[in-house]
Amino acid sequence: MKKIFALLMAFALLLITGCGGEKVSDSNKVKIGMITRLNASEENFEKFVEQVEETFKVSIASHKPVFFDNFNSMLAALQSGQIQEISTYTCVARYMIAKDPHYVLLKDHSLEFIDSFCFGVREDDTELKDSLNMVIKEMQDDGTLGKLAKEYITDIKTDGEPTAIELPHFDSAQTIKVAVTGDLPPLDYVSADGKPAGFNTAVLAEIGKRMLKNIELVNVDSGARAAALTSKQADVVFWAIVPVSEIIPADSDKPAGMELTAPYYKDKVVHVGFKADEKK
Amino acid sequence: MELIYNIFIKDGGWLTILNGLKVTVEISALSLLFGTLLGSLLCFLRMSKFTPLKIFAQVYIAIVRGSPVLMLLMLLFYGVLARAGMPPVAVAVITFSLHTAAHVAELLRSAMMALDRGQIEAARTLGFSKWQAFQLVTFPQILRIAKPVYQSTIINLIQWTSVVGYVTITDLTRVINNIASRTMQPLITITGGLLIYLAISWLVHGIFRLSERKSQLRQADS
Repeated sequence: MKKIFALLMAFALLLITGCGGEKVSDSNKVKIGMITRLNASEENFEKFVEQVEETFKVSIASHKPVFFDNFNSMLAALQSGQIQEISTYTCVARYMIAKDPHYVLLKDHSLEFIDSFCFGVREDDTELKDSLNMVIKEMQDDGTLGKLAKEYITDIKTDGEPTAIELPHFDSAQTIKVAVTGDLPPLDYVSADGKPAGFNTAVLAEIGKRMLKNIELVNVDSGARAAALTSKQADVVFWAIVPVSEIIPADSDKPAGMELTAPYYKDKVVHVGFKADEKK
Repeated sequence: MELIYNIFIKDGGWLTILNGLKVTVEISALSLLFGTLLGSLLCFLRMSKFTPLKIFAQVYIAIVRGSPVLMLLMLLFYGVLARAGMPPVAVAVITFSLHTAAHVAELLRSAMMALDRGQIEAARTLGFSKWQAFQLVTFPQILRIAKPVYQSTIINLIQWTSVVGYVTITDLTRVINNIASRTMQPLITITGGLLIYLAISWLVHGIFRLSERKSQLRQADS
């Protein structure tokens, strides 16, 4: 019995050291948190990073990406010291710093990427995609999108939060179900009273008005966005990312069965960490 | 202290948490009710002498108990029942009832197997009908034996429901995650959420302790 126990313990130890052991070179790298893309495995994404290094002749090998399903767990990892930095967007970084001055925008990375934010719709829902594209173009041309971005993203108050906007209602009009995650403030978040608020509701309210359609918001976990769309539990997914780069494929956040609309917002990828003297 | 207030109380945040808690309790309570009824039926089938029914129950229990509840929930909501137009909460109740039933069936079966068969035979010899023997001899003992494991099943069920955010339901966990994203304070918010789940577990534990005390008092009186 003792021999079996000792053998089991040795096997468990082997498993633990085997699985958890990092390469020596990895242990010196800065761990940077990234959100998992819907259509790119973590291995693929690491390859893209290697490609970036080769193409631009820069060294970003000092960072090791650690992937998270949602922003929340990535932030928790940053706070607990599991990772040292997170990769996010300028608007999110500004929101973070406004909420907690311990965070700081890191300026030591040499590459700057820009991502476009689009709506995700079902592949076969071309009518909805075309209508959304038309409305997005209208809103871009008449400056509405810029105005909303300024009001709900750029000029965000540090002490308060943008209120939820009432979504328009049209009797007997078609209802579009939009999946929001509440996971990417100030673009997509849920206010204290439990209502989706901020930029997302402002943009969707305007779209509803212009399309003369009702908008119903459903709160869904980030990881279930694609499933919600393809199973028709939602008609539109609030945000999907298209990298403005030749190296990272445009469909890295577009799973099979999903089509993306024209972008309604663009933002620069930045790194955020804790201030040097306030590392937790 | 101000941070705690900003996270959990300010702007009616506590009301949103209460609404999430209500959804969690609602799904848990309904799933427990239907899961217990279905589990009792499954246990009956599992112990049946009619082989096809017995095999059906065995297969059901093996599949459902071995499946992660999140996978089962997503499969039903985004797959099997996607076109049924059912509200997400109803799909969640169905999923958790099916899952709980498998566990309840096994816990009832183990309780029945722990019974002394001689007592039932003695009751039958004394002239008790099958139903009387079950009602007066078997059932009270099953309840007593199954109670501690049933309590764990309830607590597990409440914890399992924390994945319903994947199927567009805003339960307690989802509310906590939303607050964490909005306030950028995930660790404090998650700790708050954990304390609420702990409080529910202790409440369940307290109810069982109370019922145990009452039955002990009743026994002492008689």
